[in-house]
Amino acid sequence: MNIVVCVKQVPDTSDPDTEVHIDGTGRGVDQSKFSFVINDADNYAVEEAILLKEKHGGEVTVVNIGGEAANQVIRMALAKGGDGAVRLDDESFVYSDVVATARLLKSAIKDLGCDLVLTGCMASDDGYGAVGIALAQMLEVPHAAYVKTVEVVDDKKLKVGRELEGGLLEMNEIEMPCLLAIQTGGNEPRYASFKGIREASKKEIKVMDLAATGLSADEVGESGSVAVMTQYSVPEVGDLAEMIEGDPAETSAKLANILKEKGLV
Amino acid sequence: MFELSEQLELIQQALRPYCEKELQSKVDALEEGELPVFELMKDFDGVFGISSMLAGPLKKMIERKRKKEEEGVEERGSIDELLGGEVGTAIDPMLLFVVAKELSRVSPSFALSFGAHLGLCGQTILSKGTSDQIEKYALPIFAFEKMGCWGLTEPEAGSDAFALTTTAVPDGDQYVLNGSKTFITNAPYADIFIVYAKIDRGDAKTDKRMIYPFVLERGTQGLSVGKPMHKMGMRGSPTGEIFLDDVRVGLDQLLGKKEKTGRAQAKETLASEREEAPAMAWGIIERCLDESVKYAIERKQFGRRLVEFQLIQDKIARMYVHLENVRNLAYKQAWAMREGRGSLRDACAAKFYASAAAVEVGMEAIQLMGGYGYMHEQHVEMLTRDAKLLMIGGGTSEIQLLNIAKELARDKGVKLSLAGGLQV
Ligand SMILES: Cc1cc2nc3c(=O)[nH]c(=O)nc-3n(C[C@H](O)[C@H](O)[C@H](O)COP(=O)(O)OP(=O)(O)OC[C@H]3O[C@@H](n4cnc5c(N)ncnc54)[C@H](O)[C@@H]3O)c2cc1C
Repeated sequence: MNIVVCVKQVPDTSDPDTEVHIDGTGRGVDQSKFSFVINDADNYAVEEAILLKEKHGGEVTVVNIGGEAANQVIRMALAKGGDGAVRLDDESFVYSDVVATARLLKSAIKDLGCDLVLTGCMASDDGYGAVGIALAQMLEVPHAAYVKTVEVVDDKKLKVGRELEGGLLEMNEIEMPCLLAIQTGGNEPRYASFKGIREASKKEIKVMDLAATGLSADEVGESGSVAVMTQYSVPEVGDLAEMIEGDPAETSAKLANILKEKGLV
Repeated sequence: MFELSEQLELIQQALRPYCEKELQSKVDALEEGELPVFELMKDFDGVFGISSMLAGPLKKMIERKRKKEEEGVEERGSIDELLGGEVGTAIDPMLLFVVAKELSRVSPSFALSFGAHLGLCGQTILSKGTSDQIEKYALPIFAFEKMGCWGLTEPEAGSDAFALTTTAVPDGDQYVLNGSKTFITNAPYADIFIVYAKIDRGDAKTDKRMIYPFVLERGTQGLSVGKPMHKMGMRGSPTGEIFLDDVRVGLDQLLGKKEKTGRAQAKETLASEREEAPAMAWGIIERCLDESVKYAIERKQFGRRLVEFQLIQDKIARMYVHLENVRNLAYKQAWAMREGRGSLRDACAAKFYASAAAVEVGMEAIQLMGGYGYMHEQHVEMLTRDAKLLMIGGGTSEIQLLNIAKELARDKGVKLSLAGGLQV
């Protein structure tokens, strides 16, 4: 079974002390303050791909849109067991929306002859949650989103469990080739072994620029997008909101007072 | 040279979340002695595959040694030889430093025990052992099946390690070992023991130089260990005594299976312990600085964040200077080891500086956090207690200075003795 797994590099916001600052353009955030990591859900997608490969054979190809810095997350996926990688990198790809992003991914995936495409179900930075589905549409394959469990039924069919509200698991059968947008928590992403990391540096990361994708400039980036992101803004502190400051003992006492005063408890 | 390669950067990135999640969650149990450190080492190996990375090179090394032994070619058995060989090229010194650093950010104890197991015990067998001995004793160490320790220090012989009184008296084709060792990392639970003993033929003059490493196994008659000692720091790393009471061993348990001068050998292994210290100090300092900056930004007094006070800025800036220096020393040491250009004086200087810097930074981190810093909940408290060991184990700070001075004087033809005065 040949698998493609799409991975995105995102700012690491797991540290609660990370503060987000909007950059001068108003359309980006100041990246210098962050360290970068693989998108959380994509990490689970990588693990799922490798588990499937270990069980059923085949190859795993890692696909990414990003600059050279993204090699880091690609190499880590290769170190865990990926076989090869494609990185889509061109200035014209910046500001691609869901549709343009899916179009780019398709250009890299369409000739790989894979049985299964995995993506994360959502990116932690832009939170679109739609790239996987748009990509399935363009590849003209069925898809399932919020997938937590994957079982191979036979060489044509998969049984997938989708996580619904309240942890309910909905079981579906889906024909391959297909696309699954993977939810977090369905497996336990491994750490790359030292040996794996060594071997990863020998594996090829193929870089595709605009020409290599076969797409035209108006199909990618802002001009290829149907939605254009205009501006980021930080929510203003409203008059109705009161920020309570202090250590936990102080803040809880103040909060209790307010609740009492307003007759809410 | 002053940057991690892409590969090591990835290794650091893989290690960090493991240490911060898996290891951190076990630190309390480890420190309380509820969780055996060897269990953690096995888990670490299972995740990062040290044993599988080394299995191939070890096999090749054994084959090469065996061939040379059959041809009657003798190897020097030095660390440089080891570093340039199959295993040495499989583990870059900087890789070891990055591992020791990342581990020490969370648990210097774990790094210490890990270092004694692989670095002191494993490495000594690899560099001094014959192919058979490596196969029998080193393979289970590197496969994390058996835990190793390395015992030189004795109750009456610490800095003056070569004044040791453990004896190995030849008896037919055997040796009878008697004596005791103390402060030995991992000893309470070790399976494989390297112990240094003086071969005693009753000739005071030659016997003085006859210090050799023997390899012993748990369960050997006459070999026993004491309970883990209670310590100021490094509480997650068991430290203890080894007692040898008429322990009989054959020549096959004398490392190298031959009586060669052993003094230089123990010195070399000590050097490797010395070299791990800067990496451990690096981790401790880096973590203390991270925590201090975070705390100084969060904590408010007199209506201001601590970081706004210039006396606090002074503290974190000085911590950074130490970090910068210690990191550079670690890079330099790794480079020197890789290039075979290590020097005793530089290794001693690095250990001396780095260990004192770690203690100073730790103390300042506690001070910066005030009462909270003194509490167990703040990681810096443990790190500081742990840091103090770096000024003692593997040769005290004073001994590092003496070694440096000794080398400087030797350049001018003056031979100094560690005992003070000139060498006799
Ligand atoms: C936690 C821990 C783990 C250890 N692990 C191991 C291990 O795995 N294997 C092992 O073999 N050993 C181990 N050791 C022992 C360690 O190497 C010794 O403690 C160290 O070498 C110092 O010896 P000592 O404790 O006998 O101190 P001493 O030698 O008695 O020194 C006491 C003080 O006198 C100073 N001093 C000594 N001689 C001189 C001199 N000539 N001039 C000036 N000052 C001098 C010292 O610097 C020190 O300040 C460990 C120790 C500890 C605490």
